Amino acid sequence: MSKKKYFVKRKKVCKFTAEGIDYIDYKDVDLLRQYTPVSGKILPRRVSGTNPIYQRKLTRAIKRARLMALLPFVGD
Amino acid sequence: MALYELGLVLNADLEQEERDSFLDEVRQLLAAGKASIVKEDVWGKRTLAYEIDHKREGYYLFWQFEGPGSVIRPLEYKLRLSDQVLRYLTLNLDRELRRARKMEKRRAERKEKAPKGTPELEAPAVEGA
Repeated sequence: MSKKKYFVKRKKVCKFTAEGIDYIDYKDVDLLRQYTPVSGKILPRRVSGTNPIYQRKLTRAIKRARLMALLPFVGD
Repeated sequence: MALYELGLVLNADLEQEERDSFLDEVRQLLAAGKASIVKEDVWGKRTLAYEIDHKREGYYLFWQFEGPGSVIRPLEYKLRLSDQVLRYLTLNLDRELRRARKMEKRRAERKEKAPKGTPELEAPAVEGA
């Protein structure tokens, strides 16, 4: 018996391209939460699959939300 | 003239009256600068993501106003000096939404074109038959 392990690669999709979200609002905390794990860090593109254009917009939105104390700079 | 968005986090410990009088002052300042408020969005009390000046709660509100860029300087000056304001953020929404509006326009155009495109495709087929 071959004990070869394999797993199915899940295709990553950019939420913003798929749903046609053009402007990422810093007030949309629930959306931004999806891209910040409990640590409070910004999820990298290689993990989330977000397109570069939107990743930059997302980053800006998250940083603005942090300034306004909507998101933490450092998580738990 | 541009569309601006002002986000405010105020001290939640203060009385509603004090807050209102402060907000009225801000409104007057905007009016004096020939800016008109388009939308007021009040979130109210909300726990802060981190402590600011040993406070755990903030009073959130967001305004959209249209006016000349010259109002921003006196506005931010006032907000910075006030001890009611924990955080503020002013954005030029015209600049923020430029791409979103463009994309929307393009989508609308594509939608307009699509119904016209289909009969054109059918027409040559009929000729051929």
